[in-house]
Order: sequence, then C-alpha cells, then structure tokens
Amino acid sequence: MAQELTSVGKRLPRPDAAPKVTGAAEYGSDIKLPGMLAGRILRSPYPHAKITKIDASQAKKLPGVEAIITFEDVPKSPFTRSAMAEALPPHVYEGEVLDQYILSDKARYVGDWVAAVAAIDVSTAEQALDLIEVQYEQLPPVFDPVEAMKPGAPVIHEGKERNIAANISHAFNCGDVEKAFQESDYIAEFTGQNSKQKHCHLEPDVALAYWDTDGRLTVWSPCQNPHLAKKAFARRIFGIGEGDIRWITPTVGGGFGARLSLCVEPVCAMLAKVTGKPVKVEVTREEDFAGWNSRTEQRQSIKMGANKDGTITAIRDRIISDAGAYFSHSGTTTAVNMQMTLGLFRCPNISGEATIVYTNTPTTSGFRGYGNPEGAFVLQQVVDMLAEKIGKDPVEFRLKNIKTVGESSFFIPVPLEHCRLEQCIRLGAERIGWKEKWGGWGKKKEGRKRRGIGMSIMNHSSGAGGFLLEHSNAAIKLHEDGSATLIVSPCEMGQGILGVLSQIAADTMGLRYEDIHVMTGDTDVTLFDIGSHASRSTYVIGNAVMDAGSKIKRQVLELAAEKLKISADKLDIEEGRVYVQAAPQEGVSVAEISHDAIYNYELTGAHISATGSFQSGTHCPNFQAGFAEVEVDTETGVIKVIKYVIAHDIGRAINPQNVEGQLEGGAVQGLGYALSEDFIVDKRTGETLSDSFATYKIPSILDIPEIEVILVEEPVPSGPFGAKGVGEPGITNVAPSIANALYDAIGVRIHSLPMTPEKVLEGLKAKSLKSSSFRTTR
Amino acid sequence: MIKELANFKVNGRLYEVIIEPHMLLIDVLRDKLGLTGVKYACGTGDCGACTVLVDGKPILSCLTLAVTAKNKNILTIEGLAQGNTLHPIQQAFIDHGAVQCGFCTPGMILTAKALLDENPTPTREDVKAALDGNLCRCTGYVKIVDAVLAAAERIRKGGKG
Repeated sequence: MAQELTSVGKRLPRPDAAPKVTGAAEYGSDIKLPGMLAGRILRSPYPHAKITKIDASQAKKLPGVEAIITFEDVPKSPFTRSAMAEALPPHVYEGEVLDQYILSDKARYVGDWVAAVAAIDVSTAEQALDLIEVQYEQLPPVFDPVEAMKPGAPVIHEGKERNIAANISHAFNCGDVEKAFQESDYIAEFTGQNSKQKHCHLEPDVALAYWDTDGRLTVWSPCQNPHLAKKAFARRIFGIGEGDIRWITPTVGGGFGARLSLCVEPVCAMLAKVTGKPVKVEVTREEDFAGWNSRTEQRQSIKMGANKDGTITAIRDRIISDAGAYFSHSGTTTAVNMQMTLGLFRCPNISGEATIVYTNTPTTSGFRGYGNPEGAFVLQQVVDMLAEKIGKDPVEFRLKNIKTVGESSFFIPVPLEHCRLEQCIRLGAERIGWKEKWGGWGKKKEGRKRRGIGMSIMNHSSGAGGFLLEHSNAAIKLHEDGSATLIVSPCEMGQGILGVLSQIAADTMGLRYEDIHVMTGDTDVTLFDIGSHASRSTYVIGNAVMDAGSKIKRQVLELAAEKLKISADKLDIEEGRVYVQAAPQEGVSVAEISHDAIYNYELTGAHISATGSFQSGTHCPNFQAGFAEVEVDTETGVIKVIKYVIAHDIGRAINPQNVEGQLEGGAVQGLGYALSEDFIVDKRTGETLSDSFATYKIPSILDIPEIEVILVEEPVPSGPFGAKGVGEPGITNVAPSIANALYDAIGVRIHSLPMTPEKVLEGLKAKSLKSSSFRTTR
Repeated sequence: MIKELANFKVNGRLYEVIIEPHMLLIDVLRDKLGLTGVKYACGTGDCGACTVLVDGKPILSCLTLAVTAKNKNILTIEGLAQGNTLHPIQQAFIDHGAVQCGFCTPGMILTAKALLDENPTPTREDVKAALDGNLCRCTGYVKIVDAVLAAAERIRKGGKG
C-alpha cells in the first residue's frame, strides 16, 4: 500500500459497541415473532436408560399445547452436533461419528433429550413436560473413560464395544521414539488431565425457527458457523436444499467454541415444522450446565527424551479422551491437541496415539484453544521436568528447542513462514523478572507463603488450512456518497471482528473507517464462509476482504482515470479521495466517482461492487509465551497469581485494543481453567453437581491478577496487513505456567485441573511423607 | 391467581401493568415493557446481568418480585443515555474496549453508575469491589475497570453523570 494507513493499527471503536451499551442490541432471546410458540425440552433423569414407552396423551390435552414430539417424530438420519465437521475434507469427515438424532430413544446422560413441547408460552410448555409419562428401562451406567473401555462395560452406543468411539493416530508420526528414548541421556514423563471446562457464555442457548408456506426454513441462533450449520441441516438432518434454509445470526452473547455445535436449533426447527408456527427455544442456565457443551476431558501421558546438551530427541503422547455421551468435537479436539503438542518443538522422533471413549456424562464439544490448552498443561510440565533433570534454565531449554522460519510448522508439511516466538520468550522473561526471580532448580523456600515463577509457550493456528476447508468470501458495494457496505460472515461473538474487518476494508480501499458499514449474520446475504473459530477470522476473512477491497479500488481508479484523463496507475486513494500521486492537490472524491457510476446517463452505468475470496492452505501459526508469578499459602493450599505476562506474536495488531481484549479475556478464562472451574458429575447418579455459577466458579473481577500484555509486531507476509490470529491463544499458557510456578514455589506437581487448594495440600502432604520416610519406595 | 394493576416508574415514565404476585421484575421489564436491555443469564442471582437500579441502588431483577418494585424509580440501561448523548460510563465502555459480547454490559454499566453516584472518586479496588457481583466471561475485566475509572474522571471534569 502506497498510502498511509489510517485505520489499521488504531484503537478504533468497534461498530457493535454502541448498541451494546444502550441495550439496543438484539440477542436471540430478545426476538419476538408474530404468533410465536415457546418450546421446551424433556430431559432424562437417568444416565443410561432405554425409553420403552412415552405417553403424552395427558400433556396433549393441556390447553395451549400445540405439539409434542418424541424420537418417533424426528428424522432418522443420524448426525453430529459438530457443524464444523462440514468443513472437514470428505475423507476426514468419514471418520466423524454420526451418533445423534434430534431426540433420542435411549438416554445416554442425565439431561439427554427425550421429548419436546411447543406451547403458547413457557409456563404452559413446562406444565406439559410434567404431564408426559415416560417409561424408562434403566441400564447400568459408566462414568469413567477407563472403566468404560474395560471388557464387559455397559455399551452406550450399539456396535461400539468397550465404548471406543474412535482411535486416532497423530498425522505426523515419525522416527522411532522407543529407540530414541533408549539412546537419550534424560527422560521425563508426566500424566495429567483437564476438567470439562464449561464455556459459560453469559447468553444461554437460544434458537428460533419458522418454516414458511413454501417450505423454506428460517433459523435464528447465535451460531459461530451458520453456513456450515445450514449445510448440516440440509444434508444431514432435514433432507432439503441449502437454498431452502436462511440462517440469521442475531447479536451473539459469547461463544468460545460452544456455538460451533448445533445446540437447540434442530429441536426448535422440528417443533416449528410440526406446528407450522414460529417457535423459540430458550434454555436455563442449569440446563446449559448439564447439557451439551464443555471442553473434552483428555487424559494425557507425555514422555520426552533429551540429550545432555539439552536437545529434545523424542516425544511420545498417549491420550484417552472422554467424549461424554456423544462424539461431537472429541475427535477433532484430540487431533488438534496432538498437532499442537507434538509440533511445537523441533524433534525427529514423534509418536501420538489417542482413543476417544464414550461415557454416560454430558456431551463435550470444542472450547477456545480446541485441544491446545488440554495438551499444554501436560506438555509444558514435562518440558520443565526435563529441564530440571538436565539442569537447564526453563527459558534457555525452550529457546534451544523451538523452531524457526523455514523449519516445519506444527502442520509438518508446511514450513514456517514467520515466527517471533524467541522474541516473545525473551520479552516475557524480562517483564516478569525471570533472571531476578527464578533461583534455579531445587532451591528450598521457607515460610507459610511461598512465591514461585513459571512459564509456558505455545503455537496455534490462524485458520486450520490443510485440516479444514479454510474458505472465506467477502462482498463490498459502494454507496453514492462514497461510503461502503462490507458484507461478511464471521461470527461477531464479542471478539470485535466486525471492526477489524472494517479497518482492513477501509485501508485497502483508501476509505475512512467511519465510511464502512458492515452487513453480517444472514446467509441469504453473505457469501460462503466457515465462520469464526481456529483463530481464523482476521487472517482468512481479512484476506478475502482485501481481495474484494482491491477490486473496488481498481474500479474507482479506472473511472477516476477517465474523468481526470490520466493513467490509473498514476492515481491513489486516501480518506475517500482519489488523488494524482505526482500532484496530490489534483483529484476527485470517491463519492463523485461512485455517484456517477450509478447515475450514469451515457448507458454505461454499473454499481461499483466486488466480491473477494480467500482459501488458506496453511495455518500461519501464531506464537506466545506466558509467565506466571504465584504465591502459595502452604496452610490453606490457595494459589494466588501475583502477575501474569503474555507476549504474543501477532504479526500486526489491526486493532491493538481488541487484541489485548482477546489476550486478557483468554488469560482470565485460563485462570478459571487453572484454579477454580471444576465440572463435577456425581459418580453414583450421573447428575451434574456443578450446575450454576454458585457451584461452578468462573473468575470474578476480584480474582484477576495484574496482567501485562506484550504485542510482538512484525508483519507476516501472507496476512492482511501482516496480521495473524489471536482469538484462542490467550487461554493456553495460563494453567501450565501456573503449574510450573507452583512447582517452583513448593516442589509439588498436580496432575489434574483445576489446581484446587485441596490438591495443593494433598501434594504437600505426599511430599512431606516422602521426604520424612527413609523407607519410601516407588 | 390474583391479578393486579400496578404502576411502575421506569426510566422516568409511568407504566400501568397487569401483574401476578409471583411475577419477577425481569419479566415485567422484558416481556411487558419490551426493555430487553435487561438480560437473563442465570436466574439464580449469581451473575448480575439482570441488574437494574431501583431508587438508585443496584438490584437483581431476576430475584426480585415485581410487586416489591411498584411505584419505585427503576432505571434500566435504556434510560441512561440522554437522547443520542451517551452517559459518560457508556462512552467510556466504548472508548476503552470494555465491551465484547455485551451480555454483561448493561448490568455492569448500571452497577458502575450506582458506584459513581455514591463515590465519584473510586480507586481501582473500589471499582473491583463494587463490580464483584457482575460476571463477565469475555474481557478479563481489565478494560472494564479502566473504563469505570475513566468515566469517573470524565464526570468529575463536568461530563454529565
């Protein structure tokens, strides 16, 4: 770009902020359609049971009830709730397990969907639910994935013996790990697991649906990937054409990956189809907790070898993933875990194998980081353990083994075009005060409250090219006044992407930021896009916007060239004005060009408009280092984070304020993941015990430590204005850096998240027993 | 169920609404008056998204029986701006990037208003203490605290509070 950037890189206000601070923003639950019915879902009280009979005759008699549906009434084509799966290449999609129907004839977790009601209002629908009589034949449940894999365990899905839904090998296994371990000077191994972290988007799930008299379906829902959801509805569930569906995304009250799954949309559409009326289904917070979305629980053992000089020689990774009752995103999140975990360091011998297991617990899904925070908690502790054995500083050990430009990315066939991880590590270490505060391995600390310091590094995608159909499109049209409407289909779930894409559009075309209007959230208007996930939107959609914007600019310049009687390559555009490069005072406004292109009386008129596309074959990885300083109370077991430093390799921050917001927000979600968010299912009854914000503790404003964000900016050639992704990575380094800081403080390693005071005290007790007993054996 | 014709003074306007004894204030505001800036997020009083001001004090409308708010001055997010002029707290939330998904935003802003009306010169810790009952899952709170402090300064310098 020849001209100065007037929008990119600036802290400009996002277009959706004003309606959100005035209450004008319309979320799904705020929408009222004429003649709308309320839908409610009947959920199973048992974790594992056959439904032998449903008698809805009394419920149907209740005045105001318009329809009751059960398994008998829904399409018998199985599907997966992972709408994102529609973007998998066909040969990969075949590996997805299609194991769900809109309603089930067998309950597989407490809360599984058995029947649904549409009635004139919510209270009538709820009364009707109470009147539906269901006969269950209870089956023995299994709640633990290791128990579920044993021969003779209750079978949750027919044909899936030992409840194994899938076995997955890492795509880039190489070398011979066992031989390498034999030849390695040092070996470390650690087993750990994450909890089923809940997304806790503050807006509960909601959907509206209506079939018009021509049989065309409109769905309103806070969906992260509406074009893919449309395809899943068309091809997998209802057997209609994609053109028969219009998907509208209202304002979205948070996503974090939860809205990559089909949630209440299918049952809502089914109720609307049966009644012929608009139906709205809203769920309660308690239903959301005991429901269909959480991080997949991944139990992971990582063994790593290194030589005396600190070179990593081999990594072996074994994972058991607990999908819960249905497959959903458990396969892809596990595969991504292995890619991120096994691809971060330079290493010639790699082996990753995983097993996905069903249990009678709530269904899991994808959650910010999508396997990466699951793997990092284990990997980054193994790295520290190995550094300790070799006697290396964790900072130096990591610096020695990270990859640089030209080496393979975590997606092995594609080399790294850009990487500023080294700068992230060095800057982060400096800001946390690593040299002054890290006192070396095995340094004994005294006193009730002990401080420690720890670090973690990560890589993540900017869109999953090679793994997903990384395809985005954008359209732009100019108005008569020289402003433009940008038509795009990310999911603005809070991250600020509409502003970011507008900033990219403005500087691509030479228009002012305030002259860009954004149209989104309607599949009848927007072009195909796979939505917002994989930290892809800025990078992939941004490139599509640049493609469309450059075409607009070319059209404007050509028309201006005719008008000014000068060659187009001698012109440029800045802040809505075309000017002659050699004589900037000469020029014409974009408004005049745009107006005259439409109001053209010489019969050569054409509205200035363009579409742009981008398909990414790479991941354009972004990188990050995280550093935590903690204070551990050895009497209460409470870990207090004093300071957290994030240094992120962003390429270029299109809007630094939004980038900070993503990293700070991710960090605080990571803090909850690390310390307090504990999803608990009663191991006797299968009931979800953490079913509210009182029993499932997400961080409040009083829980946040000092957070320092460092943006390492050096543009990546393939990114829009040099930008890479940032949506997910903020969460990933938090738990492992706290875990490593905990070890530095008190010499204890915890094997499962969250790292609660109880676990810290248990760890301290076990450690003191071990050190006080002469006869301790392993 | 005994129905009652009740008066509510919301955002400076008087409304007559037919209510029943069990009705919650959130339902009157959202369903009867169409003030959908009042957000339902938990229903158990744990998150603060449904916060409105009653006689200047923040209350959780999802736990408040509508009958108890009769004839009192209720302020929802829709009543905060003066025409097209945003309240300094609203403007500060925009300027400081304190808004992401926006679902907690109305409750946050109203709770912050109650704080600043009572304490125009809060410290960072005062702001955190006041907003402890309002959960946000997006921002990590950093920019929310920044915004409230900036709004306080703006009001002190003569911006309308």
